[in-house]
Amino acid sequence: MSSFNPFSLEGRRILVTGAASGIGKATSIMLSKLGAKLLLIDINREGLLETKQLCSTDDQILAFDLVDFPKLKAEVLEMVLNFGKLNGVVHLAGKSYIAPLKSISEEKCFDVFTLNTYSALELAKLFINRNIYAGEKGSIVLVSSVYGIVGSPANVGYAMSKSALLGITKSLAMELAGKGIRVNCVAPGFVKTNMLNSASELFDANYAETLNRLHPLGIGEPDDVASSIAYLLSDAAKWVTGAVFNIDGGFTAQ
Amino acid sequence: MDKFKAQMAEILEVDDFNLSDELKSFECWDSLTILSIIAFAGDSYNVALSANDVIGSKTVGGLYELINSKK
Repeated sequence: MSSFNPFSLEGRRILVTGAASGIGKATSIMLSKLGAKLLLIDINREGLLETKQLCSTDDQILAFDLVDFPKLKAEVLEMVLNFGKLNGVVHLAGKSYIAPLKSISEEKCFDVFTLNTYSALELAKLFINRNIYAGEKGSIVLVSSVYGIVGSPANVGYAMSKSALLGITKSLAMELAGKGIRVNCVAPGFVKTNMLNSASELFDANYAETLNRLHPLGIGEPDDVASSIAYLLSDAAKWVTGAVFNIDGGFTAQ
Repeated sequence: MDKFKAQMAEILEVDDFNLSDELKSFECWDSLTILSIIAFAGDSYNVALSANDVIGSKTVGGLYELINSKK
């Protein structure tokens, strides 16, 4: 029996942001099972420790606010000295922002944009640093949303942050191809996470029914998104760059 | 109270109102207006409200009391 497995991540070192909960936690566990060694980042130390316990013992955690960019650079540079240079980055950290246009706040919009969107550029810039990038099998995966692709009311601030990731994906895919780095994006529909539970509390009892109707295959599980991210990091996707994958149970097929 | 009234007038799309006015009596009353009130309470008072909280407060004055009780 051969050990052929193009989805294996054995020997890969991958940085994952937003690793303490939801899709970030599920992704970390899946990447670990596929053999990757992980550098897990989140502001929530307790959640990170929980995720680490479910991953390989070799994995490392960094608990701090991702948008402290000078600290991000210093911490990752130092960590990589012992951890080893990276082959990939998955940017999952993000926050939602439900607000109709008339209550949009500049401060909140920039806050959401900085974490959800601009931090992707800082992470990519950090990743291509010669002291950080392993120089081969490079893959960056950004996580957008169905609401980066289709519209919904009371969501314009979040949509701004997530739709910008599509442009970033394509631009960086072109810019970094020469370095052997692929850049792709997944755009998930609604999955069963705490972020979804928090959002649901804002709405009425019909909200769950409405959400189910939007997804022909039903609401997703975090693993449904995690497996698409694992694919994009693996050799199975070595000819895929600048792509946006709709992982949404058919939400955007309608 | 002045800040609350000014912001609510903008959200409810009116020049003036009475605190005894029923929320559902405003022409613009819909789910987006409820979300605007939730966002306003969170941004301006750091108070988390649900849609049911807002609906249950019945009047503009009731909403003001609700927000104050949760501060």
